Amino acid sequence: MNGLEIRRPATRTLLWALLVTVVVLYAFPFLYLLLTSFKPPLETLAVPPTVLPSRWTAANYAAVWASHGVPASFINSISTATISTLLSLVLAVPAAYAITRFRTRAGRLFVMLALITRMVPPVAVGIPLSSTINSLHLLDTPTGLAIAHTTISLPLSIWLMSSFFEAVPDELDEAAKVDGCSRLGALWRVVIPVVSGGMAVTAIFAFLASWNEFLFALLLTSVRAQTTPLAIANFQTQFGLDWGSMTALAALYSIPVILLTLLLQRHIVAGLTLGAVKG
Amino acid sequence: MRLTDRRFAALLMVPAALFLAAFVAWPIVRLVMNSFYDISPIAGGPRTFVGLGNYTTALASSGFRSSAVRTLAYTVLVVSAEFVLGLATALLFSAIGRRSAVFRTIFMYPLMIAPVVAGLLWRFLLIDNSGIVNALLARVGILHSASDIGWLSNSRIVLFSVAIPDIWLTTAFMALVLFAGLQNIPGDVIEAARLDGAKGWTLLRRIIVPLLRPVIAVTLIVRGIDAAKAFDIILIQTGGGPENASQTLSLLIYRTMVRFGEPGLASAMATMYLLVMLAVAVAAVVTIWRPGADA
Repeated sequence: MNGLEIRRPATRTLLWALLVTVVVLYAFPFLYLLLTSFKPPLETLAVPPTVLPSRWTAANYAAVWASHGVPASFINSISTATISTLLSLVLAVPAAYAITRFRTRAGRLFVMLALITRMVPPVAVGIPLSSTINSLHLLDTPTGLAIAHTTISLPLSIWLMSSFFEAVPDELDEAAKVDGCSRLGALWRVVIPVVSGGMAVTAIFAFLASWNEFLFALLLTSVRAQTTPLAIANFQTQFGLDWGSMTALAALYSIPVILLTLLLQRHIVAGLTLGAVKG
Repeated sequence: MRLTDRRFAALLMVPAALFLAAFVAWPIVRLVMNSFYDISPIAGGPRTFVGLGNYTTALASSGFRSSAVRTLAYTVLVVSAEFVLGLATALLFSAIGRRSAVFRTIFMYPLMIAPVVAGLLWRFLLIDNSGIVNALLARVGILHSASDIGWLSNSRIVLFSVAIPDIWLTTAFMALVLFAGLQNIPGDVIEAARLDGAKGWTLLRRIIVPLLRPVIAVTLIVRGIDAAKAFDIILIQTGGGPENASQTLSLLIYRTMVRFGEPGLASAMATMYLLVMLAVAVAAVVTIWRPGADA
């Protein structure tokens, strides 16, 4: 640990108290969402609000799962995010490899352009993009939406993968070529296995970007390919303000990614800092 | 035929380049083209060339100008709040050291929550009467009654209220990235400054912040760009209201397009928005970030 750590016992106790307070306050909103989702439906709008359910019930979960379109929206979200993740990796891995290994002018230009893509407001490209997707007959399909989501995750994937390739010494591919591998063979059989951890991190970020995205989903899907964020948003219009259902659906939608993240947190932090500092 | 290295490299980049050309560059070209036309909202409807007409209409409308100012205010508010809170938390984690690991993990979870969920959740927490925030403020005596603050219905404070979910979601990002930056500061630099008598505020201002400068620059740029694009969080909470007091550029463009059916005008607004974003971003990249400069 570096010189920032404070060791005086009295101060440390104070710091610990502060830390616990901060983290509890920070965690409270989502905790409250979880608690609300287990309240009897009428209690969600009680005045004054209660923190703990008077009676624990799964009624909201049953109602939301039985309501029209919700299970289908989960399937849409999963397929869209999976297609988008695969597409991002298939496009980003070779591009990032070429950028880091050959350092051509085209490569440098490419990195700059990919970076600039991040600045483009989705609302600006959303409408013309939807007509491009429409002309491919992919409007209101998970594939069409996945293409839109890949425009967001591909630049970040290229950045992340470039950093991971950067960490692999050139001698490794050279050795593979001396041993008789073709250039593509060296990439596929020797380098890719080495960066598979980095590919996993990149995949998680691409998946999350698609899983949480709203605007493109709003513009590019209507009924068949509607994703869960839209279904969550619909609870406020279609059914008035049905907080019980909304909190239950939001919890169902958030818990898988939270668990996934806690499981892989070490890699995520590495990816975050890399992603932030490099791109 | 033997492939040169340069050709091989180009070949590997072609698929990604084609993808970005077809699904980012081409839509942008169409956006700019559309901005010069008066377009009927019905598919296949008439298009009339109006030159810069849409641009003058947009610039003359007070709605567009105030949305632009609001977007800037929102961005500054969100980014500065996240930075201050994030740095404070990162310092707290560093002061406690390795044993804060479990808390850092708990702290990370909002990063994974969909912005739509965050927006709806905070709308629920902030509802005038039955929201828990006002109820708690009333309970501890800060408010007279739970209906004293209309977070999302008072047009004077609503821009601040709609920023809360964004701040909540991404303070964790700031804290984790800044924490990683703090870990990379060599311990002996800090020790030496301490021996020279630097403490607290001086240590922070003279030593820590200057050493963190690159990380700080990048996080501010990344977050600034994201905040300026805010859409779903605000749409879900207020839809831009009351009285348009929380309508940022993304919302205005979306509504001009979809609600009011004026694709040409919306395209002109979006083109200007895009140009400003690109100008700011390119300036930031060239002067502060300089990716690949070390490569």
